[in-house]
Amino acid sequence: MPIWLETAIRSICILIGLFVITRILGKKQLSKLSFFEYIVGITVGDIAGTMSVDLGISLQEGITSILIWSLFPVAVARLSLRNKKFRDFVEGNSTVFIKNGKILEENLKREKYTVDELLEQLRKKDVFRVADVEFAVLEPNGDLNVLLKREKQPLTVGDVFPNPPREKEPQTVIMDGMILDEPLATMGLGRGWLKEQLDKQGVAIENVFLAQVDSYGQLTIDLYDDKIQIAEPQEKKLLLAAMKKVQADLELYALQTNSEEAKALYERNAAKMAELVQKVEPLLRN
Amino acid sequence: MTVASQVKQTLASLKGIHAGLQQLALTSQDETAQRTFHEAMLATEEIIADIKDRIGRLEFEEPQYHGK
Repeated sequence: MPIWLETAIRSICILIGLFVITRILGKKQLSKLSFFEYIVGITVGDIAGTMSVDLGISLQEGITSILIWSLFPVAVARLSLRNKKFRDFVEGNSTVFIKNGKILEENLKREKYTVDELLEQLRKKDVFRVADVEFAVLEPNGDLNVLLKREKQPLTVGDVFPNPPREKEPQTVIMDGMILDEPLATMGLGRGWLKEQLDKQGVAIENVFLAQVDSYGQLTIDLYDDKIQIAEPQEKKLLLAAMKKVQADLELYALQTNSEEAKALYERNAAKMAELVQKVEPLLRN
Repeated sequence: MTVASQVKQTLASLKGIHAGLQQLALTSQDETAQRTFHEAMLATEEIIADIKDRIGRLEFEEPQYHGK
C-alpha cells in the first residue's frame, strides 16, 4: 500500500473518531471554563494530528492514548457534578481582587498579578477608574469579572419604567419561503392566520425569505426582493391612536352638550377612557 | 354633521378598539399582557353600552336624524 493511501485512510478514520469524541465531550469543553479543559482540548487535537501524519506511531498506541485523554475529562465532569469538594479541587476557586472598592494586594500577589495587569484587565471591561469598581473577581479560567458601583452602572429599562411590559422570544414562522408549523403552533396560531397576515401586507409566501412573530402576535417579514418596501406593523400604534381620539371626542361632546345628564355621561366615559389609555399605553407603544 | 352621527362615528371607533384589544388579548404570549388587554376590552364594553344608550336618547330627541 502506498504511503499516501495509508495516511489518507488514517486521517479519515481519525477525523471521524475525533468528530465522535467532540460530540461526547460536549459543549462544556468548548467554553474552556478551567485550565484542565483547555489543556485537554489541545492535547486531544495534538494526538490526533500526530497520529494521522506520523506513520511510525502504531494505531493501537494512538487510539489508547486518545481514548484516555478524552474519556478522563468525561469521568471528571461526572464526578464533579456530584461532589462539591472534588469540583473545587478540579476546577479551582475564584480569587477576589477588589472588594468594597478596595484592592486586595494579598490576593494579587497570590495569583502573581501585577497592578499593571489588573488595570489592563479592567480596561478590557471598559473600566478606566479603579474607584468605579465595587467588586472584581478573577475566575478560574483567567477572566476578570467586574461589578461596578451602583451609581456607575449603566441605565436599564427597569430603572426608568418600574414595571416594563414583558416580552417573550419571537418565533420564526417562515424560513426560505417554507412555513414552519411547530413555532406557529407554539404561538397558538395556524397557517390560516399566517396567510391572512401576508395578504394584509400584500406578499405571497414564496417571496418571503424570513418571517417572525413577536410576543404580541405581530408579523415582521424579510423578502427575497430587497427593493420592495414593506411597512412595519402598525396595528398597535393605530389602536393606541384610535383610543386617544375617542377619549378626546368624548371630552369634546361633554363640552358641547347642553344637557347636564349627557355631560355627566360623557365626562365619566372620557375619564374611563383616559385611564384605559394609561393602562395599555406601555404595551402598545413599541 | 349632526351630533347624533358624530357620536355614532365614535361608537364605531369604540367597536374597532374593542376588536383590536380582543385580538391582542388572544395573540399575546405574556400572561400579564393578556390580562391587561382583556380588562381593557371589558372596560370598552361598558363605554360602548353607555354611548349606545346616549345615541338612543339623541335619536328620540331629534327624530329627524334617526338612522343617519
